Amino acid sequence: MKSFFINLIIYIAIIGGVVFGFPKALSWYLDTPYPMAAITSGSMWPVLKEGSLVFIKSVKKEEVKIGDIIVYRNSNGFTIHRVVELGEKDLTTKGDANFQKDVSIKYEDIIGKTLTVFGRPAAIPYLGLISVAANK
Amino acid sequence: MNIFLEKIKGFSFSQWWENMIGEPLKTWEKIVGVVLIIIFLLVFYITLDANKFKATVHVVEGESVIGLNPTTEKLDFGDLSRGTSAVRRVELKNDIPLSTYVVMLKTGEISSLIDISKNFFLLKPREETKIEYSVYMPASAEIDKIYDGRVYLFKIPLIWLWK
Repeated sequence: MKSFFINLIIYIAIIGGVVFGFPKALSWYLDTPYPMAAITSGSMWPVLKEGSLVFIKSVKKEEVKIGDIIVYRNSNGFTIHRVVELGEKDLTTKGDANFQKDVSIKYEDIIGKTLTVFGRPAAIPYLGLISVAANK
Repeated sequence: MNIFLEKIKGFSFSQWWENMIGEPLKTWEKIVGVVLIIIFLLVFYITLDANKFKATVHVVEGESVIGLNPTTEKLDFGDLSRGTSAVRRVELKNDIPLSTYVVMLKTGEISSLIDISKNFFLLKPREETKIEYSVYMPASAEIDKIYDGRVYLFKIPLIWLWK
């Protein structure tokens, strides 16, 4: 009975460590307070599909290039779109699946850019579905 | 033949289990076994009874180009150019005296493009409804590519809602 409780405490500690520790560790490693984001629309289809979870890493103003997929803050919350124009003080993005460009944003609004693996954004399919459901 | 029939007649699962494992089935094991068999049969029935539609759309060059191929056996959205959309409707009727829970799943490349008007809903006995499947072709769709996939329509009878 005693060993059962010890095992239970160990399992709870492992699960707690994974659930709470993983985002903290990821936040430290990617140098951003928002290391993960769920894709809640199809505006970046087919590169990023609705319901996927992407990883975000911090980016400096001078590191932002045309073609990067960035995450920025706006009045509706957060947006993940591709950079299409770079200016001195602001930049313009566009969703791959959209016909119109977005309204220009300031560099200060950028939270980060998507983490890429072999040149493609690192995304886990379906892991962001809970966030998508909550958003709807 | 007679020997075979006699063998089947005399077959006892409990006896067979005891011979294989070396101890008889416990009561809770029997209950779990029966529950698992019922769940398996239910899943088997629901899967077998599901409607499976092949869905397809062809991306064409140009503006406002729509070409529909009205077939009944599949959800064919025909030829669509970027920025256009097409809608297909399916009528669904619940013929059984049980309320049925309807769940639809989309698979394949077309799944991100199809929007289903309603999903995860209850259909009362003898109730009819129309489901609209619409496809919008985004700016990032590849020209001359055929996006296809399947739509599975599962009808889960809710036994506790017998009317």
